[in-house]
Amino acid sequence: MVRSVPTWLRLAAIVFVVLTALILLAPLIVVVGVSISESQFIAFPPNGLSLRWYQAVLSSDAYLGAGWISLQIAAVVTILATLVGGAAAIAIHRRQLPFSELLATAFLSPLVLPTIIYAIGMLMFWSAAFGPVTPVVLALSHTVIALPYVVRTTLAVLAESDPFLEEAARTMGANRLQRLWFVVVPQCLPGLAAGAFFAFNISFDEAVLSLFLRGPTLTTLPVQIYGQLEFSPDPSVAAVSTIMIGLTIALIAIIERMLGLNRFASA
Amino acid sequence: MNDRTENLLLAVPGILLLALAFFLPIAQMLALSVAGPDGPTLAQFERFLSDPYYLGVLWRTVRLSLLITLICAAIGFPLAYIMTKVGPRLRLWLVVMVILPLMTSVVVRTFGWMVLLSRSGLIPELLRDMGLVGRSFALMQTEAAIVIGMVQVLLPFMTLSVLGVLTRIDTRLEEAARTMGCSFLQTIRTVVLPLALPGIVAGSLLCFTLSASSFVTPNLLGGARIQVLAASIYRSVTATPDWPFAAAQAVILFAGILLVLIPYIRLTGTRHG
Repeated sequence: MVRSVPTWLRLAAIVFVVLTALILLAPLIVVVGVSISESQFIAFPPNGLSLRWYQAVLSSDAYLGAGWISLQIAAVVTILATLVGGAAAIAIHRRQLPFSELLATAFLSPLVLPTIIYAIGMLMFWSAAFGPVTPVVLALSHTVIALPYVVRTTLAVLAESDPFLEEAARTMGANRLQRLWFVVVPQCLPGLAAGAFFAFNISFDEAVLSLFLRGPTLTTLPVQIYGQLEFSPDPSVAAVSTIMIGLTIALIAIIERMLGLNRFASA
Repeated sequence: MNDRTENLLLAVPGILLLALAFFLPIAQMLALSVAGPDGPTLAQFERFLSDPYYLGVLWRTVRLSLLITLICAAIGFPLAYIMTKVGPRLRLWLVVMVILPLMTSVVVRTFGWMVLLSRSGLIPELLRDMGLVGRSFALMQTEAAIVIGMVQVLLPFMTLSVLGVLTRIDTRLEEAARTMGCSFLQTIRTVVLPLALPGIVAGSLLCFTLSASSFVTPNLLGGARIQVLAASIYRSVTATPDWPFAAAQAVILFAGILLVLIPYIRLTGTRHG
């Protein structure tokens, strides 16, 4: 570098980053703080320390039920989105289909279309055609919005892969299935794994589709929290929210350990 | 079996899923927005566009979304730039700082703001203590609360889109500008900013689209009196079940977003082709 950055600008940059960190993280810190409060009411900074609100959550049928539904749906979405999205990404990457450009756009389009528009369409279509919304419908809709993430991460990994490996396997006598399973899929693995984690996170945290496609017996955790916030929030909402934040931190740590965050952060 | 059949088999589950659970429902929604008791009608659109209340909702949505996008760009660009200049360890922490809120449920983040902005919350209290505002000052149920909450929700999207472009800029360009006598700020203005523009534009479109179509944060922070278009759609679906009207409002939202998106796609399309 030539002349370095002036000192006042460096200081300004530090202040700026600290302030931005505060804006970005403040709501999360506050939620964690409220969750360990002793008080009956939501208060930050917390009055006293206690884990009573976690106890309240763990003995609440409403939260446990919603959490169980969310977990089941997220598990189905993770498997479905990873299989379907991964297969589609391999097909798109090979560029042998006559309409592969169009296909790539189609698979990424749920990313561009606002979720609320899709949610309305899904609600109207399924209730008109098949009656009340079922967990399957919610899982399918979550899969659709998770699909682009799997396709993108898998395509990103495939773009760096060596096309001649498959060629080599072919000359050595591997058949189609063997080439796919022993050569292509292992190469995709980091992308598939990252996509799977994103898919789980999207489904578990998703609120818009879940609000539109909810039913008396179909309430996911974010919908349950939203309902509480609209009417009578007490610190137990903060305890559930803190558990969800904890899960997100765990997911980020796993992605960073296994694959490196930087790789997918700016992709 | 040849190559084409193999690839087709790989893509078919995805194509079926998208067709049945994505494109068909959207087509159904479009059809319902013009459905009337006797044949296609534009009555729902007329109802929306001739009612000053709904026009006000539309205008508020556009105004707030523009403001939110602008603030996100003003914070997101410098943040992304700083991220490219720091060491790898600090950079990782900054990435985590951006991604952690992004991957946390919107409901949870909005709850945090509800606590911070409420009457007895930290921020109004602080402003009152500093004597900047009067006793009766409140932030909840105002447009300011919506803007604050939405900026936090959308800033990660802006930061990551700008970061994606900035990391691909050749750093020697900046050094060249500095050796030729540019000051630091001149270098930013004449070299970095123009090169980062595609990222800023893409991030802005994303922010605008997402903020125009979100209702969870505006509903919880703005309350029932301050409606935005997406919140009004949600109400038309749940509170007063009126699906054709909800569909028409969704189409208006969609058309508005396309109006912003299409010139951009055209622009980038010609640049690449």
